[in-house]
Amino acid sequence: MSVNEGALMWVEKYRPKTLKDVVNQHDIVESIKAFMRNPKTMPHLMFAGIPGTGKTTTALCIAHELFGMQNWRNFTLELNASDERGIDTVRERVKDFSRYSRGAFGDIPFALIILDECDQMTGPAQTALRRIMETSSRTSRFILICNQSSKIIEPIQSRCAIFRFSRLERNAMVEHLKDVAKKETVNISSEAVERIVDYAEGDLRHAINALQTAAAYKEDAVVDEKVVSQIIGEASPKQIQLMLNKAINGDFMEARRIMYDIIGTYGFTGAEIIRQMQKELFKISYILPEQKAEFSNILGEYDYRLTQGANSDLQLSALLAQFVKVGKALGESS
Amino acid sequence: MVLLNQKGFKLPRVEKEKFMLLLRLGLDYNSQQTLYSIKNYNSIHQLRDTLQDILKSEIAFTQTCTICNIDFGCSTCNYTKFCPTKDLPFTCVCNQCLRPKKNLQQQKLF
Amino acid sequence: MKNDLWVEKYRPTLIKDVIGNEEAKILFVEWLGNKRRTKKAVLLYGPPGVGKTTLVNAAANEYNFRIIEMNASDTRSEKAVTRIANPATSFTGLDKFSSEIKGNILFMDEIDGIAGNEDRGGVNAIIKIIENTRAPIIMAANDVEIEKLRPLKKVCTLIRFQPTRIPLIIMALKSICEQEHVKYEFVALEKIAVNSQGDVRSAINDLQGLSEEGKTLTEQDTLALSLRNKDVSMYDTLKEYFAVKNIADAANLLNYSTVEYDDLLMAIGDNMPKRYTDTVKLAEAYDFLSQADVFRGRIGIEHWHLLKYFYNNLAQAASVDPESYKPFEFISPPIRVITLFWTKSKRTLLTSICMKIGVQCHVSKYEAKMIFVPYLRLMLQQRKKANALAEWLKLTPEEVTFLTGLKMF
Repeated sequence: MSVNEGALMWVEKYRPKTLKDVVNQHDIVESIKAFMRNPKTMPHLMFAGIPGTGKTTTALCIAHELFGMQNWRNFTLELNASDERGIDTVRERVKDFSRYSRGAFGDIPFALIILDECDQMTGPAQTALRRIMETSSRTSRFILICNQSSKIIEPIQSRCAIFRFSRLERNAMVEHLKDVAKKETVNISSEAVERIVDYAEGDLRHAINALQTAAAYKEDAVVDEKVVSQIIGEASPKQIQLMLNKAINGDFMEARRIMYDIIGTYGFTGAEIIRQMQKELFKISYILPEQKAEFSNILGEYDYRLTQGANSDLQLSALLAQFVKVGKALGESS
Repeated sequence: MVLLNQKGFKLPRVEKEKFMLLLRLGLDYNSQQTLYSIKNYNSIHQLRDTLQDILKSEIAFTQTCTICNIDFGCSTCNYTKFCPTKDLPFTCVCNQCLRPKKNLQQQKLF
Repeated sequence: MKNDLWVEKYRPTLIKDVIGNEEAKILFVEWLGNKRRTKKAVLLYGPPGVGKTTLVNAAANEYNFRIIEMNASDTRSEKAVTRIANPATSFTGLDKFSSEIKGNILFMDEIDGIAGNEDRGGVNAIIKIIENTRAPIIMAANDVEIEKLRPLKKVCTLIRFQPTRIPLIIMALKSICEQEHVKYEFVALEKIAVNSQGDVRSAINDLQGLSEEGKTLTEQDTLALSLRNKDVSMYDTLKEYFAVKNIADAANLLNYSTVEYDDLLMAIGDNMPKRYTDTVKLAEAYDFLSQADVFRGRIGIEHWHLLKYFYNNLAQAASVDPESYKPFEFISPPIRVITLFWTKSKRTLLTSICMKIGVQCHVSKYEAKMIFVPYLRLMLQQRKKANALAEWLKLTPEEVTFLTGLKMF
């Protein structure tokens, strides 16, 4: 695989630069290659799937293949919906970029706009996005990246070819990690690799970061399970899951203590914590989907209140109290 | 104790300085009827003190009952002990209107 | 409805219904109606609870003008001043108006709050606003501070409000009792009125607090009235807050406490789980607190007319289940120290770091914070490789120090 020597984070250094190197998304890559044979007919694309499965990488690979490794940055605009201040900024940047990149490269008649985290956009913002896509369709192609395509409005979905990135297979992750370790001359035990993959829950970036951190700690010695556990313990926002479990199982004070700890340690905003809670809620196995709905509604309500209110920790405490109440009611009815 | 009605009362002749002071303290003067009345109540306490000075006596103002509209003095009131504006001409409710003898509710209880 | 505050329910909407201070009302209405008024500002001053704000709102209602409320402590900001100069573009309207609005009037409540500062800047800033604004201005203050407001005399009409007289308060209480179908002993009303020291608001709150549906309000009941201590500290406020027997008591307490809103809100939030151990009650109380906080957020630094909703919700949070009260020890503030660590400057620093990571690694700020920062701060602790890494990410030394020092608790 081609290596970006200049990049010092291994996630970036070993990010695949060509489609054929993308890890474990064979079917998608094949389909895209078909498009690439006749780029003029390439539609807008939507990549959907859980984090760390190669969506951004694939989008960047497309850029590389369309415009070449030297020049691709001139013809590719990378945007992140949750980072931009609003749909107006997005529109501005797309407009500016379209003007700048006029005179497309060779016989590729368009420039590429990669818009990440579109599912974080509100309905009205997405509607506006659709118009932006329309007005710039002569000069640009969009690659929309999201975790949940269901959160994208119909009109946008219908304008895109949708690719669903599946969770990486365990083996594929293990192999990739071992490969990186070899290239970086890191001596790591098999158990340690397994441990990292366990923890990463399908997100290859987590895994590689953990590997790099563990390696940094054990310069010339073997990276074993022990140090991996240590790293994971130090780095892990498993706290969110813990907080959620404590709340649902009735321990308000402990849940709140963890919440303060999370805020203190990681500096997450209220909105970020709620976003993570949604994610973790989804994973909880001991609650049925229809029961999860009630929790999810509470999260939604408090997500809104956070934007209006003045004190995030108060809102979060109140949120936890509601979870405790609902959790208890669920426990009693079952 | 001199009783004054805020709507119109007389004072002995005062020198110019005093007169100007009275006006500044909120009095109005009708030269045709030679009557003073209170226009502005912001400095009512000072005004009372000044008038007491002029009249060389304690004074009390009457006030108008907000219900029956008669003018009455504070001497008939039960709450003068607690009232910070006692004897000053502020709207109030007279005893009869406050505790009408024919109040059914009261008769039930006592 | 159990949770209706009578002070709100029976607040007069017409000028004639505002109790007492007839003389002040006349002067105020005169000022309002005088198109060729010499002083375009008026200052209503007098003790709390006598109807200054109520009168302003009633007048706005009757005369059909829109009140633009402004917090006096906001006087320094240029934005505020220019915003006022264009009243049409900056209103915070009240709900009660009919469709035809005659004009805008600026209202600054509690101006003795800012004029109480050491620097005279506060009062001068207000004078500047008065001079620069086209809309008429109404201000309100307690008479305690009137000395500091003396400079305002040149530019505004002063109207003094007296404590409301006892007979008038009794009449008001009578009227409410009749409408609420509360039987009473006359002596009880007398006692409440006397105790209120001219403050109608507190009299009505006391009435509500003491009366119980279906029972007659007796003189005996009023013995529970205590003389209001106007200077209640945080500890005392908290103690009383959690022990309130009903919503009116809570409302009264909040009205008279001089404790900072935000500190109080936080302290109440900290201690709520100790007050209610029952999960349903706790959830209910927190829901009210959360709503109070939403109003606090919406008030910001200017929309003070929403303060009553803030207080209402706080009061309701206190009175979710009065029966279950048992004295408890308050939680000490250190919990808040952790969240205070994340000051604006630290957040800005973290955001900047996340942005830089985002650029190099093609991730959003959120992903940078979640997936990269936890590891990065560990990686940077290894001196050997730290420098090169930091350089690649274009991190400043300050940012590196911040990252490596992150987990300190």
